[in-house]
Amino acid sequence: MKTITIEPRPSRFRSQIGRYRVSLGDDCFHCGLCAELCPYGVFERREGFNEVTAPNSARCQASDCKAGPFHCASQCPVGAIKIEPSPQWKTLGDFRWTPDLIISTWRQAETGEAPDGNGEYRIGASGGGFDRFDFILEASAPQSSPEADGVDTSLLLNRRGEGPAIRIPVPWYGGGMSFGSVSLPTMLSRAMSARAWGTFTSTGEGGYPEELIPYRDHVITQIATGLFGVREESIKRARIIEFKYAQGAKPGLGGHLLGDKNTPAVAKMREVVPWASLFSPFPFHSVYSVEDHKKHIDWVKAINPEALILVKVSTPSDVDMVAVGSYFAGANIINLDGGYGGTGAAPEIAKKNIAMPIEYAITKVHRFLIEEAIRDEVVLMASGGIRTAYDVAKSIALGADGVMIGTSELVALGCVRCGNCESGRGCPRGIATTDPDLDRQIDPKWGAQRIINLYAAWQAQLKALLHRLGLRSIGELRGRTDLLRYTDEK
Amino acid sequence: MYKRYHLETSPAPLSSTEMGKFVIRRNDNCFNCGRCLKNCIYEVHQRDERDRRKMAEPVSHRCKNCFACIQHCPQQALEMVRNEEYESLGNAYWTPQHILTIWNEAEEGRIPVYGAGYRGRFKGSGFDAIWTDMSEIVRPTRDGIHGREYIATAVDLGRKLPLLSDFERLDDPHFLEIPVPMLFEANPEGRTAKNIIRAVVQAAGQVGTLAYLGPDDYFDELEPYLPSIAFRFGLDQMAGMDSVPWPDVGLIEFILPEEFSFLEVERILFRLRGLNPRMLLSLRVPNHDLSDSLFDLIKSSSVDMLNLRADSRGRCSEGELFIGDSIRKLHLSLIKRHVRDTITLLGQGGMAAAEHVPKAIICGVDAVVLDVSLWVAAGCRVCATCRIDGCPARMTSLEPDLVVRRIINLTCSWRDQLLEVLSAMGIRDVRRLRGEVGRAMFYEDIERESFNFIFEPKPLFR
Repeated sequence: MKTITIEPRPSRFRSQIGRYRVSLGDDCFHCGLCAELCPYGVFERREGFNEVTAPNSARCQASDCKAGPFHCASQCPVGAIKIEPSPQWKTLGDFRWTPDLIISTWRQAETGEAPDGNGEYRIGASGGGFDRFDFILEASAPQSSPEADGVDTSLLLNRRGEGPAIRIPVPWYGGGMSFGSVSLPTMLSRAMSARAWGTFTSTGEGGYPEELIPYRDHVITQIATGLFGVREESIKRARIIEFKYAQGAKPGLGGHLLGDKNTPAVAKMREVVPWASLFSPFPFHSVYSVEDHKKHIDWVKAINPEALILVKVSTPSDVDMVAVGSYFAGANIINLDGGYGGTGAAPEIAKKNIAMPIEYAITKVHRFLIEEAIRDEVVLMASGGIRTAYDVAKSIALGADGVMIGTSELVALGCVRCGNCESGRGCPRGIATTDPDLDRQIDPKWGAQRIINLYAAWQAQLKALLHRLGLRSIGELRGRTDLLRYTDEK
Repeated sequence: MYKRYHLETSPAPLSSTEMGKFVIRRNDNCFNCGRCLKNCIYEVHQRDERDRRKMAEPVSHRCKNCFACIQHCPQQALEMVRNEEYESLGNAYWTPQHILTIWNEAEEGRIPVYGAGYRGRFKGSGFDAIWTDMSEIVRPTRDGIHGREYIATAVDLGRKLPLLSDFERLDDPHFLEIPVPMLFEANPEGRTAKNIIRAVVQAAGQVGTLAYLGPDDYFDELEPYLPSIAFRFGLDQMAGMDSVPWPDVGLIEFILPEEFSFLEVERILFRLRGLNPRMLLSLRVPNHDLSDSLFDLIKSSSVDMLNLRADSRGRCSEGELFIGDSIRKLHLSLIKRHVRDTITLLGQGGMAAAEHVPKAIICGVDAVVLDVSLWVAAGCRVCATCRIDGCPARMTSLEPDLVVRRIINLTCSWRDQLLEVLSAMGIRDVRRLRGEVGRAMFYEDIERESFNFIFEPKPLFR
């Protein structure tokens, strides 16, 4: 087992976004009492300075310390400190990724610890699916204790009697994001953290950049319908080969990379004309049946006999049949990508309206695999809207073996989910861009540590939760729908 | 000669629709360092033209909410706050998001494509409780976004011929083909402005569809567009019938009054039919609950079409059933009476987004009628009380040509999004989507199917 090093990695921005706005009025005579009182570091009077620095509002925990002995506003001798809700807070995030979730994910990426404070870091506000599930925890359930450390969160990715046994220490790996949809530093950050943790990340459909080769044992290579950058050597390189049949955000449509982001570097990797919009076909024209699918797998196995086969499909109502078909064609891992998953570019009408949310698909497929008596021979991974450690646990309780994550990792790198990844120069925050000026904003080492920290925080929460549920491993949680309840709709 | 259907779009910006969801505020402690300018890639921040030492006021409507300027600011001098003007748009059904989306579609004529996943609620009411389905592997040959030119969006309005048994007695085919399953309404809910009416009618002509118009709203300048006009009459408007030059009109609709005698309706329909035998005859009904005598009218070929009309929020009269549910019921009762395939069913009211078109068709209509959405395309803000004099969008003084372009852009965008959904489903003709509930998942069904077994015996549903 690898040892994971958690190191604090603060945000790369000067100004932080917080729930409150703290201001110092004109009456302030800079006595510095607030700086002495505040344990969160909102105020500071630097050595040799006469004045208190401008308040760092984002650190303020107003409602937490209102009655506490260190409440600045009530102890200020001239009453100059004003704490009010920040009007900006409501402009951040959306129903699925609330401001609380974004900020708590940033916090976890910074510290590597489960969030403290009073934000809701477990669920969003979409009013359905994961956001309405809750674990049934008895009042007598054991609180966190050192024993929780012994809980096993590892997942075996091959349950067939043959082939390599690959085990990952956490029940998730990173999903496919192509070179083109995200920047190279972003891919490197993800690959470095996958190696540190011993799990995986996926290249997506845009080819296998050479810079990723040092991390080859932790990089899944994807074969998608566009076949961009699919080469024999990249198939030979990978321990897991992913067939992407469809993507949850745009099921039935094929990948989109709009022309603006298809820079010469991206085009070279994909072997296409620069600046042309790339729309992958749908489906694989060589696959119209389970037999065709098997032929595909045979082709890959002929090149790389040791590779595990991962099949990524979206969630139409016949997804259970598709999953069984994939199994019989030889897949080791089936990845269901639900309708509310992330994307670098997709028509809004497709994101919202085509195919079902992942919550429904997991139970459907899990049950069907049990009925077909093959549940324990295939690994079922879920994706498409997994935002928190609790979403991971809920997916597994619904019947998945593990999950694939994507957006959360980008949020760890500083994504605010503004959704402008698709066109122009891409992401102004340097994540989902191929613009050489913008992508410099991310230092892969910084990014990797942020993702490593996030994973660590998630694993700790998962262990604590399993311990409280009286379970000793993540495998014991699978399909335990009896541990879930539905909360009232808000 | 074969001609491929094509709608020509062109950028049609309208200054009254330049609105962002948020406003960027520059506070007094800004010391004009210009880092915001350097880090904003959307040109929200500029230096003041008159005094280059200072920063100008941020151009908020260009902002795409990336927070880059705010987080790079060394002074915490920039703030993003909600735009109250944006949030006051529309109402609970016509949400600000719907209105802004239509504005963008009308400006550019493109499919809205963005990054990051879906950001809304898990599910909602009405059309938001439906997901369309797609097929993973077993599907006809097609090619994702490519090959969509092979997907047909044309529908037939009118009565289909019964099974052919006697060639001697073969009727003339009695239908009209429109290239998109969308008709227009020129003056929804009493909104009246000559320039907009003209633009809607003209756009209908260019799109190849029909625009509904009351006889009172007809004026002489519309004469060149008569083939694109569908007149609708209420009982109180029968006097206006004489002013309409009937030979050029393709469709006429009679609004079924709340209280009526069957004989009277039959007589009116007979009289309308007499005006021009080749004209399609439609009956507007307020809900799905049709009396037996109305089914007799359908059987006896007295009407060719039904238009199920809800209010602008999609509520049908009597019991406030949502239009989608009402369509499903009417569609099924027409099937049970064996008349579904003989007539055309339209639905009007509450079509506020592109996705509502395929969803209404899945529920059972052949085509939908767009009403308020066309006005929104022209800049309407769906205010609580519409005052045409104090209109914030100055609807009455808009150039009709600009409105025509915006409506065509909207139609093109919605048609392309319909193609998007059809292509994901592997369906190559929108006529095959009608009533195809197998291509949809309804919230209540799927919730029960996936979760109920977990939570029994606790019932999830009322």
